[in-house]
Amino acid sequence: MRLKTKITLSEPELVHAILTKDKNGAEALYDMYSSSLYGVIFRIVQHEEIAEDLLQDTFLRIWNSFSSYDASKGRLFTWMVNVARNIAIDKTRSKEFRNSSKTEDIENNVLSLDRLTNTEINPEIIGLKELIRKLKPEHKIILDLVYFEGFTHVEVAEKLEIPLGTVKTRLRNAIITLRKVFN
Amino acid sequence: MKDLKTYLESGILEQYVLDDLSAEEKLEVENNARQFPEVKKELDEIENALISYARSNAIEPSQKVKTNFLNSINNSVQLNNSSSTNTEGSSVISLKFYKYALAASISLLFISGVLLINLNKKLNESYVQLAVLQADNQKFSNQVNYKESELRDTKNALQFYQDPASYKLVTLKGSEKAPEASLLVALNEDKEEVMIDLSSLNMPSNDQEHQYQLWAMVDGKPVDLGVFDAKQDSTGMKKMKFIKDAQSFAVTLEPKGGSLNPTMDKMMAIGTI
Repeated sequence: MRLKTKITLSEPELVHAILTKDKNGAEALYDMYSSSLYGVIFRIVQHEEIAEDLLQDTFLRIWNSFSSYDASKGRLFTWMVNVARNIAIDKTRSKEFRNSSKTEDIENNVLSLDRLTNTEINPEIIGLKELIRKLKPEHKIILDLVYFEGFTHVEVAEKLEIPLGTVKTRLRNAIITLRKVFN
Repeated sequence: MKDLKTYLESGILEQYVLDDLSAEEKLEVENNARQFPEVKKELDEIENALISYARSNAIEPSQKVKTNFLNSINNSVQLNNSSSTNTEGSSVISLKFYKYALAASISLLFISGVLLINLNKKLNESYVQLAVLQADNQKFSNQVNYKESELRDTKNALQFYQDPASYKLVTLKGSEKAPEASLLVALNEDKEEVMIDLSSLNMPSNDQEHQYQLWAMVDGKPVDLGVFDAKQDSTGMKKMKFIKDAQSFAVTLEPKGGSLNPTMDKMMAIGTI
């Protein structure tokens, strides 16, 4: 990892660079967001090789259909993480994927995800791990299902057998906790 | 906004950032974000928190993904260029193809039109031929019918000549009305047959409105034995009705189809058995 060589641009600069198909824009885009997006994709597909292929697909999709990003509606990363999540979820729903991987039970996934986070977490923000521990487990599981696995609120309510209102409240509380941690 | 605080706390903004809203709901949130700085601020904070959360869960992918991505961008630029020329080429080809296809279709249409007209002409000719053949056919079957009836008559006559002993022959002689008239009636009591010999018939020709009627006199009463026509070219024996114990035969001229009782003043010929 040549972290020092990573290109970083401000968000408006990056958006401009991508729109003008600037090669530096592509590299900056990748350097700034690849690990965050890979974290999401990997948690969904649970397979290193597939996740890396999908990460590449995600960046190509972002690069080629960038015109559908509207900066006035939100942050670039929010848009990109939705692209990544959709690509990864589409993959898990494909026949090919379901046949090739003996998909583990969701419960097991959640457990293995936690293990994964513990072992492969980005060393740069290792200190945040303690802060994230402040998330209550019942909040964290909902946040992770929605944010990292693309569950809808309704699906979470059904899966965890709790009312939809509770899902919304817990999710909001989880994010409020994060805001306190990160801001 | 009625209650901004309730809206901010409803969870809908979190759902917006997490991409869990319908298109209409999204639009509503976006409108509110434009209208209310508080909504925009809340959205920003939610986004920042989640971005940080994603970052804290980040995993470094292998370097080859970056290389592949940057390479495929270069390739796709080239690919785009070459594929655009390709599509130009193929669109030229397809334009040509459509031109030829159009020309071929028009020719085919023309040819099938000509063929159709020819076929129609032949069909009409065939109809005419068919009508002619049918008329011929009708003529032949009429002839056959006629010949058959002639044959039947001849057979009857032949029967009479083959077995003259069993036939009683009665010659009817003309009355004052037709002194020249004569008619031969053959009577077979065993076979219960009465026939008249049309070949030797010698009666004035009847017109369209009249026919000759043969009567048998049984115990002084006239009994109808049927009608016949007298023509110069009539041949063979004509079978009439039979009556037992007839004493004499008579012929009267009656309106076509015959009468119930003989018109005595039209008595043409008479003969006693």
